[in-house]
Amino acid sequence: MQENIIDQSKDITILEILDRVLNKGVVLTGDIVISVADIDLVYLGVKLLLSSVETMQKNKLSTVKPSLQIK
Amino acid sequence: MDKIIYAILTSNDRRDELTKLLSEIRGISDSALFNITYNNISVVAGDFSSNKIIVDKEFAIDYARVIEDLAQHFTLLPVRFGTLMESPDAIKEILIKYYDEFKQNLQKVENKYEFSLKVLWDYEKCSGKIRIKTESEDQNAAKLFHHNSISTDYLLKKLKKHRFENALLKHVEQLIEEISSHLAQLNPIHKFQKMVTPNIILDAVFLLEKNKKDEFIHAIDHLKSQHDDLNFLLTGPWPPYNFVEITLK
Repeated sequence: MQENIIDQSKDITILEILDRVLNKGVVLTGDIVISVADIDLVYLGVKLLLSSVETMQKNKLSTVKPSLQIK
Repeated sequence: MDKIIYAILTSNDRRDELTKLLSEIRGISDSALFNITYNNISVVAGDFSSNKIIVDKEFAIDYARVIEDLAQHFTLLPVRFGTLMESPDAIKEILIKYYDEFKQNLQKVENKYEFSLKVLWDYEKCSGKIRIKTESEDQNAAKLFHHNSISTDYLLKKLKKHRFENALLKHVEQLIEEISSHLAQLNPIHKFQKMVTPNIILDAVFLLEKNKKDEFIHAIDHLKSQHDDLNFLLTGPWPPYNFVEITLK
């Protein structure tokens, strides 16, 4: 059970990381900026991870410690 | 070889420290990092071969790790993953062109942390309670219709749905109000997103002074203890991803 909680926390943290690096931050566009081709693959990963947060509620996991350690 | 941009940061008179730090951390696919500086602002970038490799989740995580390492030493603006340029000269051109915007945004996030708070509930259970509360109003509305017909059934059904959705929204707004007033003394900048999914009723981000970190965590813990039916998922501190709103062309 403990291992399960850790795995879920890890997934949630990865979800938070991916959401940030893919959707937030300074956006530079224009002729001198080249975009990365296969970025859709990363988005697919985010969709899969979203289910981890939902699962967390179902399993009644209520505590993920807010600290740098979980990142 | 293309150059991938990680972050824009305030280097001031700490350029040697930055150079040393960049020599100690590695970028995506173990690539070396370098900085391009103009006045007191630096762009951190690294080599990136977009032709030979497939971009995957691990790349994005490596990318975030570099930003995290830099954020522990410098005030920075994270750049969205996937920003590639052809050469250091092109990066310098962007830095000079948008220097003022970068400076302004760096000042806004200086000495601050970002935190994320997701509030979850058991949708079936909690929405059921709210539905019971709205049912009495639905019964009153039904009395107003003297004749049963397909159209009145349709209208009643729509009205019922509307009332239920309004009650849900009101519930979430009350929670936002409670969180906002509870955190008011810490004076964070915040953004709230309501009902992200049926189970995630609130997705909030906060930007606050670094020295208020412990107070903030304590305040969220207190809120958590007041709501047995809700799960509070707090993560952070993060670099200020959600409070950088610049799109440059």
